[in-house]
Amino acid sequence: MISFLVLMGVVVCFSAILALALNFQWGLGGMVNFGLTGFYALGAYASAILMLKTGAHPFVASLGAIATVAAICALVAFVTLRVTEEDYFAIVTLGVGEMLRLMALNEDWLTKGALGLTGIPRPLGTVIAPEYYQYFLLGLSLALLLGTVWFLNVIARSPFGRLVRAVREDDVVAATLGKNVLWARVRIFAIGGGIIGLAGSMHGFYYQYVDPTQFTNIVVAYAFMAVIAGGRGAHQGAVWGAAAVMVLLEGSRFLKDVIPGVDSDQLAAIRIIIIGVGLLLLLIYRPQGFMREYRLQAELK
Amino acid sequence: MPFVQTLFNGIITGVIMTLPALAVTLLFGVLKFPNFAVGAMMTVAAYLAFALNAQLGWPLLPASIAAAVAMGFVCIGLDHVTFKPLRERGGITLMVASLGLGLILENIARFAYGNSARSFVIELARPFRVAEVRMNQEQMVTVAVATTAMLLMYVLLSRLPMGRAMRAVADNPSLAQVRGIESPRVIRWTWFIAGLLLAGGGVLIGMDRALEPPMGSNYLISVFAAAILGGLGSPLGAFVGALVIGVVSELSTLVIPPNYRIGVPLCAIAVILIFRPQGLFGQPYIRR
Repeated sequence: MISFLVLMGVVVCFSAILALALNFQWGLGGMVNFGLTGFYALGAYASAILMLKTGAHPFVASLGAIATVAAICALVAFVTLRVTEEDYFAIVTLGVGEMLRLMALNEDWLTKGALGLTGIPRPLGTVIAPEYYQYFLLGLSLALLLGTVWFLNVIARSPFGRLVRAVREDDVVAATLGKNVLWARVRIFAIGGGIIGLAGSMHGFYYQYVDPTQFTNIVVAYAFMAVIAGGRGAHQGAVWGAAAVMVLLEGSRFLKDVIPGVDSDQLAAIRIIIIGVGLLLLLIYRPQGFMREYRLQAELK
Repeated sequence: MPFVQTLFNGIITGVIMTLPALAVTLLFGVLKFPNFAVGAMMTVAAYLAFALNAQLGWPLLPASIAAAVAMGFVCIGLDHVTFKPLRERGGITLMVASLGLGLILENIARFAYGNSARSFVIELARPFRVAEVRMNQEQMVTVAVATTAMLLMYVLLSRLPMGRAMRAVADNPSLAQVRGIESPRVIRWTWFIAGLLLAGGGVLIGMDRALEPPMGSNYLISVFAAAILGGLGSPLGAFVGALVIGVVSELSTLVIPPNYRIGVPLCAIAVILIFRPQGLFGQPYIRR
């Protein structure tokens, strides 16, 4: 049971980091990312391939995954947003995400296709005894989660953070004030992408294998749900939102014992339906979420 | 002669996509956001037709017509519960809502019928050959259905009052309102027609390939690419765009692995956005 809770904690941590990434891109920057699953898979595969093919150290591989996803995200944002609006951007992210998933499935020479990559090394996996490793992993994940929250809070309070929110609220005004909106958006999407890459490499460390079936639509659904529940733009909110959604998701595994005669496909379908309905209900009845975005406030005397 | 055969298959794929592409472009014109639930709506409609056809034993044509009409009303209902309360919240919220709705619909189909592929009960007919090109009866039906639907849509949009009202709302919602056009009624009709078109698309995809939960969303990118190529909001453009995207995607399989067919609409979107963002028949976009 303790072991289950510890592992659950690790899952919550990297899901929260993924939610934070989406929160930065969409909640703070106003750029929807419907290809989240594909970018997440890219991060997981990039880190796994770096370790397995080149023998890179897990920490180096994580940095590689962060750089890879950030670069691809920057490219997508640059090509799409040079001329157009967010409607097209959403469609393109969806397409690119799908393309990345197809590559994971079909590029056998690199990703072993449907079999997936197994035997992914873990950070300090050879140094720490296996019976304590899960505690170390939880500690590491928590540290990375707190680090990400700290990093995003620093950004949100910096001049760049104000630019990010300005671009979200009204890009024409931002442009009129002499801000380079395209460059700001490319940076927003790339920073978010780097965080997605981090979450992806942690995914690999946790499962120790990656295969295409791990990256399905439910990832997008729960990340959006976590961000909406937490309150768009609120970092701490996204963390709590992700925790709540993951507990809900993992808890719904036990639905199988409650509802007889439901096979695993149907159970998976029910879980996505629950998430989807929750997402719509939140959007309609509680669009501001449960926590507030950071705002600069003047001291009242 | 693989080239001519592939070209023919591409035309069929394109013809199938004309229906959802037109639905996407109409919905975008009137509601001003790309709807990501259209793929799953096609899936649901196809399974509705499947239920009537395979489970109740109706012939496919009446089953499809009944499913299409039902889907029209389902779409009105879905719009009422999901998009109507969000109408004033801006495009991004609506897009996210449509993504959520799509996931729900696709998984309702998965819950009811599982992941395994199914097919309609239709009489098998021997494929025939015309000048080395292999065709089958379903493909002829596809062309006939899509052509009829396009002609009806043309008459609706250019001749009937509701079609004019739809175009007016698409062109300038506030001006349309000032001129006494009731936009809630126009929106309901748009959804009904989109439901009919999506059901048609779903059934045709089910005939062409098979029925499975992701059958509709697999076409999502291609359908958006078709609508963007033609110019979002332009019905004629959607028709031409669907044919072009269908043919080019099929022909691309001669040079790239078929698994990456989805790369073609994606590259098409990128190229259109860089060189002609308003599409072939769209109005240049002016921000107000």
